Amino acid sequence: MIQQIIALIIIASILARLYWQKQKNYIGMNEFLFWLIFWILAAVLIVSLKFLDKLVAELGFSGSGIEVLLYLSVAALFYFVFRLRLKMEKIEKDITKIVQNISLKNK
Amino acid sequence: MKTFCIIPAFNEEKNIITVVSQVKPLVDEVVVVDDCSSDRTADLAERTGVVLLRHIINRGQGAALRTGTEYCLKNGAEIIVHFDADGQFLSQDIKKVAEPIKAGAAEVVFGSRFLNSGHSLAMPPFKKYFIMPLARAVNKIFFNVNLTDPQSGFRAMSREAARKISWQQDRMAHCSEIMFAVKKNNFKVKEAPITVVYHNFGQNFFGGLKILKDLFIATLINR
Repeated sequence: MIQQIIALIIIASILARLYWQKQKNYIGMNEFLFWLIFWILAAVLIVSLKFLDKLVAELGFSGSGIEVLLYLSVAALFYFVFRLRLKMEKIEKDITKIVQNISLKNK
Repeated sequence: MKTFCIIPAFNEEKNIITVVSQVKPLVDEVVVVDDCSSDRTADLAERTGVVLLRHIINRGQGAALRTGTEYCLKNGAEIIVHFDADGQFLSQDIKKVAEPIKAGAAEVVFGSRFLNSGHSLAMPPFKKYFIMPLARAVNKIFFNVNLTDPQSGFRAMSREAARKISWQQDRMAHCSEIMFAVKKNNFKVKEAPITVVYHNFGQNFFGGLKILKDLFIATLINR
């Protein structure tokens, strides 16, 4: 119970910071909405941990709800790192194009 | 036929003058692409009177060759030769790779260390018996490329072939990519025996793995 309250306090502070960042125009609307939904979803999952335990047990997982959440978040992190990697490759290619254009233009 | 030789160079101040002076009499134009060297490579190359293209950021050998090839195509090259700046290749072999294109027998010619009988003695054993056969097998199994030298950086291509082959790999994976592109476009290919003088080990096992990783990511990006 205390752990859940601590987690909710942390999420509330993150949401407050997110709102402040949006107010100051540090982040765009899309990014704001993505993180808003993400943290609200996290809060909902934390509040409904008991229901989650029941759900994952019915789905046949041996771990508790929070453990399954952890597994899923690791998988999501791998996916995001991979997406980031692809994006970086594209940026690298764009840099090369610029370098080549400058090189040929200076000739 | 107007023959241009591209020499990508990165920190090659020790070799660049020797390499350029050996290559220059054998071709119509030498194009040195300095890939943002931190030493005097660019200055020394410029003094030899060749065309010098400069990358303001280091982008790798594949990118430097692409820059040079674009320059050659814009300036009327009919045969384009890719050569190394580290002095591992012999300039007299340029004739061997350019000749089949001049004769109309090939559109792309790859220099091969393995067609040169005396060469195998000079190659480090781990490379000869492990890395090269593995690279050859990967080329054959995954890309259906059947060339004796799986990582040949010494090649010549006709203007038409250079116009059609577009390699995207900035770093060492461009060698394999060019081979696949040649295969894909059904160009007439030949291999010519060349000599490689080993100053160091060159591409090691992990370098080979990096090439595979780069090619894998490229297939995902290009999808």
